[in-house]
Amino acid sequence: MNEGMKAGRIMLIVTMLVAVAGVLVSCAKRSTTSAGKELEVACFKGGYGLDFFEQCAREYEQQHPGVKIKVWGNPRVWEQLRPRFVAGNPPDLTYPGWGMDHWALVYEGQVIPLDEYLDTPPYGKKEGKWRDTFEPSLLELCRYQGKTYMLPYFFSMLGWWYNKDLFEKNGWKPPRTWSELLALCEKIKAKGIAPITYQGIYPAYAVSGFLIPWVISAGGIEAFDNAQNLVPGAWKSPAFLKAAQMIDELRRRGYFQEGANGMDHTGAQMEFISGRAAMIPCGTWLHSEMRNVLPSNFRMGFFLPPVLDDGKGDPTAVGIGIEPWMVPTKGKNRELAIDFYKYMTSLEKAKQFVEQKGTLMSIRGSDQANFPEYLKEPVDVFRRAKTVWSVEYRQWYPKLGKEVEDATQALLAGNLTPQQFVERLERAAEATRQDKTIPKHTYTRGQAR
Amino acid sequence: MTSRARAGFITLFLLPATTLYALFVVIPVVQAFAFSLYRWRGISANRTFIGLENFRQLLHDPLVWRALSHNLLLFVGTSVVILALSLALAHAVGAESPLARFLRAVYLFPQVISLVVVAILWMFILNPSFGILNATLKAVGLEEWAITWLGNRSTTLASIGVAHAWHALGFYIMLFAAALRIIPPDVMEAATLDGAVGLTRLRMVTLPMLWAVLRIALVYMAIGTMNIFSLVFLMTQGGPDRATEVMLTYLYEQAFKHSEFGYATALAVVNFVLVMALSGAILALFRHDPQEGRG
Repeated sequence: MNEGMKAGRIMLIVTMLVAVAGVLVSCAKRSTTSAGKELEVACFKGGYGLDFFEQCAREYEQQHPGVKIKVWGNPRVWEQLRPRFVAGNPPDLTYPGWGMDHWALVYEGQVIPLDEYLDTPPYGKKEGKWRDTFEPSLLELCRYQGKTYMLPYFFSMLGWWYNKDLFEKNGWKPPRTWSELLALCEKIKAKGIAPITYQGIYPAYAVSGFLIPWVISAGGIEAFDNAQNLVPGAWKSPAFLKAAQMIDELRRRGYFQEGANGMDHTGAQMEFISGRAAMIPCGTWLHSEMRNVLPSNFRMGFFLPPVLDDGKGDPTAVGIGIEPWMVPTKGKNRELAIDFYKYMTSLEKAKQFVEQKGTLMSIRGSDQANFPEYLKEPVDVFRRAKTVWSVEYRQWYPKLGKEVEDATQALLAGNLTPQQFVERLERAAEATRQDKTIPKHTYTRGQAR
Repeated sequence: MTSRARAGFITLFLLPATTLYALFVVIPVVQAFAFSLYRWRGISANRTFIGLENFRQLLHDPLVWRALSHNLLLFVGTSVVILALSLALAHAVGAESPLARFLRAVYLFPQVISLVVVAILWMFILNPSFGILNATLKAVGLEEWAITWLGNRSTTLASIGVAHAWHALGFYIMLFAAALRIIPPDVMEAATLDGAVGLTRLRMVTLPMLWAVLRIALVYMAIGTMNIFSLVFLMTQGGPDRATEVMLTYLYEQAFKHSEFGYATALAVVNFVLVMALSGAILALFRHDPQEGRG
């Protein structure tokens, strides 16, 4: 065979490849254009499932003939949503879940600011503002450069859980202060039970369960706000050092469960449920996350992390977390998406969500619903709280978040002294401050709630 | 058939596979090379061309070097263990005894289990609270050895290596058992008659006869440890404090957690080149087949 023929054959193959590729691409394009009043809602499928959102969709369809709402989702929906956003073909409304880099969506203009809609009346009402139906401290977390890009739905509270039966049997009470905590841990340890366990492989739990509450207790809420706002020196302030020393002291006294550093969240939570550990830091999702393995008679109680006896911070301060919803810029039915979300956040639906799913909701007045037993304490804590905080730097600056978590893991393992720990945090904050490619956020605390 | 018709005929048969391969392997790889030259959040079509900046940054990223060193440690550590065990067990499964029959029945089990299950299984075994390993150690009086295998920076990487080796072992036993069967029995008989038994026979006869398979096995091991992800991701998340960070967990972090898809793609390109280079180096290093040139 001569060279010319060889080249000709290669050309033939290439041409055919291009033709086949072309056909495939055009098929893909054709299937995505669908008109009509159809709404696509993509949701993270977490512990609360999708059924509630589906139920809302069916009800909304009944009230609005001609509207079709497709709700879909799975536990890793963010991985599927990324290519949809890149291709410019996102869903109309989405709750992408904790694995999505929400702020990257904002920086890239992929989700719309919602303020003009928040100023319109709530679902089915002629007057009032939708904005006012939300818990304001939660709405604050959704802002960037003065605009609201996301909306909360349910929210979680962070705190510690204790084994009620174990405590009652031994006449123990959930400790409110640091000295009460140390005294109690000694008693628990003497019984051969680990006083505190934690989800070591995912150090975010230890950060929001130990570090931040004690920073706030030692230095007041400003100590934490300043750190989140990257004020120079804030991450190695005396408050951070004090909090690190407290963690280190618990470790040195052997109050943390041995081996917790190597446990994942389910592993550590099983230790708590099985009674081998008496207390664990975790959010209010703990009950629904563990419901499949929870003995029916297991009773757990919620309390705020014990505060310093002479702490500067507000002892009622509580950490919360939201998993926001958003409206993609390139969605095809923006108005409908907003109206459907208004329906989902109406007081009636919010109360139903609370009752069916056993979690707190961002809608004001939804705490008048009938809470399950294990949520009564968290609800009381939230009602009493004069200060609300949220770990925002982790979403704003993921690299800083990772470094804080790694350092916390090292501190808990005894590989870092408290002094080394805070210096490492400040170095990470400094690196974030200096990095011009990272958009910066500022959190301004609103009026006392 | 004329040669032209023949060529067309062959092309026709090659076309479907070539098309699929081009669409799903070649084009993505080429695209990856292109993406590595951009700053890209991987969440919109916006991207900025920055030339080789990602690669420059990567060279100065201490975590890349740390992750790479963990991959290489895993390669060296697990390949020694796997080679020794799989050669021994390949001999064992070839024998005729109840034990050999039992081994033949079970040796591939770990290999066919999903990696997720392997990870969970080993997390249970190594669990400091109810794990079988620490329980055994305590039972035989080695209490001070019962440590937090996955929470201790000096033992985590080794623990992952053990889980990886346990999972991979069956494949290599199969490979060597098959290769052992191909060695002509008369060669073995002759060696025995010449007085080469035990380790001498292994060193002088068996290993040289297995040379080509050994070489391929090492390449597989290199690929397996350079691309290790699931076990690390599930068992330690790369922790504690990066003690088990490997190239692909770091890549995942950069892409999905930090929205640095350009940088992550550059990492993927580097990992691709490294795997190729390592495989090439192994093939070159073991190029000389001792069977050849004996005449």
